[in-house]
Amino acid sequence: MPTHRPTEQSNGRGQSQVPRWLRILVIGRNPKVTLVRAAVLGVVCFIVFKFGVLHIRVEGISMAPNYPDRSAHYVNRLAYLWHGPQRGDVVSIRFSGGLTNASVGIHQAAKWLAPPHVVLLKRIIGLPGETVAFVNGHVFIDGELLEEPYQKLPCDWNLPPEKLGPDEYFVVGDNRTMPLELHEHGKARRDQIVGKAIL
Amino acid sequence: MKTVFRFILLAALVALGVWLWFVLFPGPEAVIRQRLTKLARTASFSAGEGNLARLAAAQDLAGFFATNVEVDINVPGRVQHTLVGRDEIKQAALGARSTLTGLKVTFPDINVAVAPGQQSAVADLTLEARIAGENDSIVQELKLTLQKTGDGWLITRVETVRTLS
Repeated sequence: MPTHRPTEQSNGRGQSQVPRWLRILVIGRNPKVTLVRAAVLGVVCFIVFKFGVLHIRVEGISMAPNYPDRSAHYVNRLAYLWHGPQRGDVVSIRFSGGLTNASVGIHQAAKWLAPPHVVLLKRIIGLPGETVAFVNGHVFIDGELLEEPYQKLPCDWNLPPEKLGPDEYFVVGDNRTMPLELHEHGKARRDQIVGKAIL
Repeated sequence: MKTVFRFILLAALVALGVWLWFVLFPGPEAVIRQRLTKLARTASFSAGEGNLARLAAAQDLAGFFATNVEVDINVPGRVQHTLVGRDEIKQAALGARSTLTGLKVTFPDINVAVAPGQQSAVADLTLEARIAGENDSIVQELKLTLQKTGDGWLITRVETVRTLS
């Protein structure tokens, strides 16, 4: 003869209608500890996604095929805290924010803390002080041919040598099939670079 | 414990006071930001707008600019155009509203530098415009020069900025 075992749904005490296993799954064995954990997780997520990582969605084909149109990625804003951007890095570049008198002291810190809402996604091919040129679609850095394994599409661009300043990086998209004048490219200052694309 | 609670309450009151102060007495930078946000809202429109509404909106839009405003649009390889004066702005706005089925304009990243005398300012911002029915949005960095007048902050000059030089 089956025995009747009281459950959380009908425990006779009228405390809860939720099964115990579900309550443990949702709020844990100790609700106070769960609350603290949730608060810590919330704060960590806020800090990481506010100051550390920027979520981006690619719009356009200038980085195709490596970063296709409508694809989602993350940008590590802390990537260049200890070293500068490297050649081949895919970086996000802020549009506005170049006002000279807003780039000192507390304003500079505030500018860094405020993540931009719209950024350019480009690849660094030239580093500060170098001379960059395009000859028949090939990139030459200080007169030497640059190997670009990420460049998979045909290109016929020609661009006379351009000398980069001490704080400038030459950035360009991976999709160079379009006419040069229709492709956003050129020199980006270090302070325009928001971070390095990851994932 | 009571002291700690009092301290927290005091800190919260001070924070509330500071916040209220900035809400009630916004500085020129905040005023300019609000004005630019309003400009973006005024420039946006959706389908089904009547002729009178269209005219009123174009008139409103022109009101954000000084009478002698100069708008210099220069995007190499794409568009090169200069508008001078409120009337040309109004005409351009009317043209856009009758040609396009919808437009959503936003200024996502606004940086404002107010001149020491607080009579003029420069705003560096990103324009994001999404035309109804098109997949990609238009993104362009702009530099706006503003002047403080009796009618508030008016835009005296607009110019496109090449983000990558």
